[in-house]
Amino acid sequence: MNKITVNFVLNEEPQSITVEPNLTLLEVIRDVLDLTGTKEGCGQGECGACTVLLDNAPVNSCLVLISQVEGKKVTTIEGLSKDGELDILQQKFIEAGAVQCGYCTPGMILAAKSLLLQNSKPTEEEIRKAISGNLCRCTGYTKIIKAVKGASGQTEEVI
Amino acid sequence: MSQFRWIGKPLPRIDAKQKVTGAVRYVTDMAFPDMLWGAVLRSKYPHALIKSIDVSKAKEKSGVIDVLTYEDVPGLNAFGIITQDQPVLCQEKVRFMGDAVAYVLAEDKRTAYEALDLIEVDYEPLPVVSDMEEAIKNTTKVHKDGNVLEHVVITKGNVAEAFESCDLVVEETYYTPRQMHTFLETEGGVATIDEDGIITVFSSSQYPNRDIIQIARSLAYPEDKIHVVGHPIGGGFGGKDEITTQILLALGTLKTGRPVKTVWDREESVIAGQKRLPLKITLKTGVTKDGRLIANQCRVVADTGPYNALGSAVMKLALEHACGPYYVPNTYLEGYCVYTNNTLGSAFRGFGATQATFAIERQLDLISKKLGIDPLEIRIKNALQNNQSAGLGHLPAPSVGIADTLNQLKKHDLWVNKEEYLKTDVPYLKRAIGIACSHQGCGLGSFFPDYGSADIRLLPDGSFNVKVGCPDIGQGNATAFAQIAAEVLHTDPDNIHVEIGDSRTSPDSGSTSASRSIYTGGNAIVISGRKVKALLLAEASRALGVAPDLLQFGVNNISTKDGDRSITYKEIASNVAGRKGTIRYTSRFDWPTSELEFNEALGLPHYVFSYISEMALVEVNELTGEARVLKAVVSPDAGRIINIQGLEGQAEGGTVMGMGFALMEDVILDEGQYLTRDLSTYIIPTALDIPEMDTVPVEALESTGPFGAKGIGEAVCNPITPAVINAICDVLDINITKLPATPEMVYNLAHKKIS
Ligand code: FES
Ligand code: FES
Repeated sequence: MNKITVNFVLNEEPQSITVEPNLTLLEVIRDVLDLTGTKEGCGQGECGACTVLLDNAPVNSCLVLISQVEGKKVTTIEGLSKDGELDILQQKFIEAGAVQCGYCTPGMILAAKSLLLQNSKPTEEEIRKAISGNLCRCTGYTKIIKAVKGASGQTEEVI
Repeated sequence: MSQFRWIGKPLPRIDAKQKVTGAVRYVTDMAFPDMLWGAVLRSKYPHALIKSIDVSKAKEKSGVIDVLTYEDVPGLNAFGIITQDQPVLCQEKVRFMGDAVAYVLAEDKRTAYEALDLIEVDYEPLPVVSDMEEAIKNTTKVHKDGNVLEHVVITKGNVAEAFESCDLVVEETYYTPRQMHTFLETEGGVATIDEDGIITVFSSSQYPNRDIIQIARSLAYPEDKIHVVGHPIGGGFGGKDEITTQILLALGTLKTGRPVKTVWDREESVIAGQKRLPLKITLKTGVTKDGRLIANQCRVVADTGPYNALGSAVMKLALEHACGPYYVPNTYLEGYCVYTNNTLGSAFRGFGATQATFAIERQLDLISKKLGIDPLEIRIKNALQNNQSAGLGHLPAPSVGIADTLNQLKKHDLWVNKEEYLKTDVPYLKRAIGIACSHQGCGLGSFFPDYGSADIRLLPDGSFNVKVGCPDIGQGNATAFAQIAAEVLHTDPDNIHVEIGDSRTSPDSGSTSASRSIYTGGNAIVISGRKVKALLLAEASRALGVAPDLLQFGVNNISTKDGDRSITYKEIASNVAGRKGTIRYTSRFDWPTSELEFNEALGLPHYVFSYISEMALVEVNELTGEARVLKAVVSPDAGRIINIQGLEGQAEGGTVMGMGFALMEDVILDEGQYLTRDLSTYIIPTALDIPEMDTVPVEALESTGPFGAKGIGEAVCNPITPAVINAICDVLDINITKLPATPEMVYNLAHKKIS
């Protein structure tokens, strides 16, 4: 198969990679670039573990072909903390106890990040909707919702 | 003020920062230079004889390094925690769709999967055993010795006589589904071999030291040349307790001398992975007219599928928990565990108690309705007390907190003001509150050696290294270990470095399963911690020239009680190192067991139990049969709470998992063929489905536990299922006997379309 070259910005760093065109964004991130914070839970767009931000919108990277990111901005969990300083969502996830096995956590945090970028004071219903494509088998979601509320500067009580 | 510095505190998880930044490398994130990919050829039929296997074409494919079959397994071509009945690679027969027939090792993943299509297997299909009652008849045998893997009868008192004296006897048969663990990280890992022949397997595992025994047996390879690192993993819930990829990975690296990686994709995980055993449970329960339980007769048939794994133990736990956390003077408990060609049944959080809880808690509600007794009161009335024998006839440890948990519910706003909560504005939306109780035996029970060990060592910088074998499968036991160690050593968790789940470094502490890791690891840490403290004190006394009883412990030092002189742990470490010594202790802790043992039912009974009650406010749409859980209040008794945030996390996660079991989850098969294949057909609760949850714990302290703690990782998913179902049945005046209670089923029952 003829390789293609794709240019995009990954976590604020320009990237130019030459790969087979049938690779997904998830495969490139994990296997080619060795950023393993992005997880695979199903490979079929059903679980959200592979969520990354594409121009700040959440996408299931297992369903995105690498050519589709040409010229775009990709953010993975590794790009969320700046110079070792955690994003407020990351801090609140720790404080609220929103992490158990942690396998859903990167995707969950990025889905929430995108929500907060568009809507700084979401309602609980909006939070639930925004993360409804991200499965978590450990936490029962309550503490995740609480963490997102906390990160938006709202009371952390979950109704 | 609490008597403890760290016990009970909501200390954030020690691994949380690594997890929120994506820095942690799970076992399936591991990669090594020159690594091969291993892909497994699964069976084409649920039940068939293998006539021949031809791998020659696959071997010729460019990029394929080797293709392994049964002929390549050097040792015992079988594994299993209890019975070694599952082939590593099948030779003469396949017994379910998930059976492994060949293992391709290739330069990359795509090549490996493409090569699977080139393997030619000639099968002769056999009749499929899919019904568990049919299985008992042995018309077609899954294994040559027949389909009944285990048959157990345990009695207490005399049920036949007791039923005569009962005012009411209720009999019903219940069916539970094949719940899938649905951990987000599927089964997988990587194995490497070094020039000394040391094999290291990084793989999803709940018990690395036991994996070593199983790998060594199949590879005919020395145990001391095998290491297993079972941590960190993306969820376990029991489904990573038995071998998944470990033996094949080790075999692959042994044969090729190169690192080998295998991760099942989701479909392979659905097909080959372990599931909760489907149970058929018939209960005949007799009471007096004031609602006192007099007799309970139980018949369980458990479908373990093609192999035992932990299926027979699951069946026995269902019997042990079939009377609920209640006092029942007369019991007759009979169980069959049978082989079929269905999914591979094994451990799943709750381990048989989950299924049994559904059955007995439905019985309690049927009885309470018939007698007109409040469902909460009938449970309080029958709640097991400290001096009463459990269903199997033995006395559990005297930390029976079930009545206290029920009293917590009784005081809760949802119960006190239930009339308010039951109101709805929409005529076709109806609400009810369902209640249920459960309990869970902690540890492996009688007969099986159940022990733990912790290795604590003073490090040169004055901090402590704490090593325990049990992996952290997501629930946060490593954080609890840090808290327990900090408490015993009178220091801060920052000074504790916990290492777990790595057979290269941590001592064998048994499995992370059976609600046992905090109790076991915690006890082992307490023993080691006390020894280390005594060693520190002796050192300080010697260095300061002051008698030990005049000294006191600080966070990082030991000082004279008047505070005049002190020595830091760092100084102690350096003094000891100067003499080429260490301050270190490796403990051994053995579980207490019941005075009663059953030779015909090894593993029963358990001695330490956790208890739990839960109530759920459920709204049912009469037009669609759809049920929504609006609120759930859970009262767990885990003995002493080590980390309140961790306990809430268990209670919330368990509740949602149990809701899935009640309402939506089932792997559907048709004559052994999977109709459910992935997460688009296997639906688990999402953030849109969850209720508001409130955790109101009680602490019935367990005198043999670390600071009084028991275990709670499993019980949390048991009571919600019947609580929700009881509410739905109450609203619509129906009797649900089969799970999951999908909207279609509820609608049809309500409209008398099915019975
Ligand atoms: S891995 Fe992409 S949605 Fe599950
Ligand atoms: S924390 Fe384990 S899947 Fe969410």
